[in-house]
Amino acid sequence: MRRGWVIDLEKCIGCRSCMVACKQHNGQPPGTWWNRVFTPGSRENQVAPEKGKEYFLPVTCQHCANPPCVKVCPVDATYSTEDGTVLIDFERCIGCRYCISACPYGVRQFNWEEPKKTLYKAGYVENYTYGYPKDFRKDGRLVYMPVRFKGITEKCHFCVHYYEEGLEPACVRGCPGGARFTGDLDDPESVVSKLIRDRDGFNLLPEKGTKPSCYYLPPRRKENLSYDF
Amino acid sequence: MAAGIIAWLYQFQEGLIITDLSNPFSWGLYVSGLAFFVGNAAGGLVLSSSIYMFGLTKLKPFAKLGALTAFANVTAAMLIVLPDIGQPLRLWHLIVYPQFRSPLVWDVIVLNMYAILSLAYLYILMLPDLTGKLQKIAIKVKDPLEFSEKWAKRLAPLALVFAASIHIVTAWIFSTQGGREWWFTPALAPDFLAVAVSAGTTIVLMASVLAFGIKDAYKEGYKTMVKIIAAAFFIHLFLMYNDFFIHTWYGAESSAHTLGVLFKDYLAAHAFEVIAPLAAVALLLNGKVRESKAAIIASSSLLLLGVFIHRFLLMPPAFEAIPLTFNPIGLQEIFWSYPVASGRYVEGMDTFVDRWNYFPTWVEMIIFLGVLAYMYFVVALASDYLPVIKKEQEVI
Repeated sequence: MRRGWVIDLEKCIGCRSCMVACKQHNGQPPGTWWNRVFTPGSRENQVAPEKGKEYFLPVTCQHCANPPCVKVCPVDATYSTEDGTVLIDFERCIGCRYCISACPYGVRQFNWEEPKKTLYKAGYVENYTYGYPKDFRKDGRLVYMPVRFKGITEKCHFCVHYYEEGLEPACVRGCPGGARFTGDLDDPESVVSKLIRDRDGFNLLPEKGTKPSCYYLPPRRKENLSYDF
Repeated sequence: MAAGIIAWLYQFQEGLIITDLSNPFSWGLYVSGLAFFVGNAAGGLVLSSSIYMFGLTKLKPFAKLGALTAFANVTAAMLIVLPDIGQPLRLWHLIVYPQFRSPLVWDVIVLNMYAILSLAYLYILMLPDLTGKLQKIAIKVKDPLEFSEKWAKRLAPLALVFAASIHIVTAWIFSTQGGREWWFTPALAPDFLAVAVSAGTTIVLMASVLAFGIKDAYKEGYKTMVKIIAAAFFIHLFLMYNDFFIHTWYGAESSAHTLGVLFKDYLAAHAFEVIAPLAAVALLLNGKVRESKAAIIASSSLLLLGVFIHRFLLMPPAFEAIPLTFNPIGLQEIFWSYPVASGRYVEGMDTFVDRWNYFPTWVEMIIFLGVLAYMYFVVALASDYLPVIKKEQEVI
């Protein structure tokens, strides 16, 4: 069993609902985003680049099978589970930020100050927090908590707390276009394996050798392109 | 030093928010400081061990200072990473849950080994001179002089191995990161060694000139040290430009992206890291310059300043070139960086950035200077209270 997901760039409309769902469900303080959506080639999302093709690219933790972050962690705080999910033990992390440096996808986020302080600065009522309210432990390790410690790293945990309840990740449930699919990459008959096979699924930065569990399906066509020869 | 401690306590209270670091630029002055102090530490012992292994007896009077500066710098290197840790109270996790695939764990081990070894080496070299009040801390052996000589010879090869390993392993922390084009090169570890031999020997030269002054008996020794400094620095230049040349010649967009940061945005700093030490080496190679204590100190300081800038430049081309950069579909001529959340909330400032220009804050600088002061005080205090230099002065 290798848990993976497929994002269909043909279906993605760049609405950033997955970003917001992820942020709300997982209690990320202002300035911190586990999941991002941008329009490649353009500074602003939803603004077509001057030339080329407009498409939208969501990027979150790729849950690599050869994860540089896991290999560099000096205290085994970030680790791969049996199904390939890369998690962080919030009680173990010492905050050296080696993993942030080693990750080529820029998905790892550091708590530069107390999250509650950041929330207050951003205009929330003092001590107000949002997100899934309970701590979640996997194999005894604290892999989710609603308000994180200062000075530790956090990132997408593939909604491991919902997975155990049989629910899809927040981003998958929040996607209005149904562009996200999860499933077993080891099973050739799973939805994700079929999509990757039939629709030429690709990875980000395959040349880095990280073997991501996150695959993308190339966009086909969003508007009628006229070719001037 | 006190200011450094206060600054660290302030940072401990507030979090690393008071640095200028962010998610896209996650390491700064502190980690540069690690590379800087590690570099300064090595040369010291490489020098003292070469006396016993390669028979460079001219350098013998400086052996103790070599071991002392090595100890002071390697402990400074360990001190400067402490403020980089987000949860310093959890540092014991390194001992309880070490993850042995991490080069950082190897570095912790070799740095500690090297600190212990250089202290032991210094102790053995001082043993024959531990008389009077200091006799209490001397181990009792029949013939201290012979014992010291014998053990110094035995420790020298081991010291050399660890002296080399602290640079190699520290370089591996960076050069194993496939995501960072700037570091991901086999040239980095040999280059760290070259810079270290140059900088470390410069530190010993400075300490020796300060302690012994310019006397005829030492001139040959100084000359030998300058030759080592010069040769090592030229090897460093070769390794660095060899790497730049290969990447520039092949002309991949990712290399242009990384080298562009150095040659466009940090050109002045790069010029300084090359020209300042070159000027220093040229001055030191001149026999007349070596007649003046002040000139040697000034030239050495210039070289070390250049090396410090070199160490600082480890960071910008690594972090200002975002690894997730590619040609979007249909835009082959555009190399586009995927924005990263900065992790810092500042009203009116963009959360997502495709570039973060880091410059250390005053808190970071005070902490760094505090560690520099610590290094200086260790050398100065030990020179005053321990027989690091006494014996030689009596001989003259």
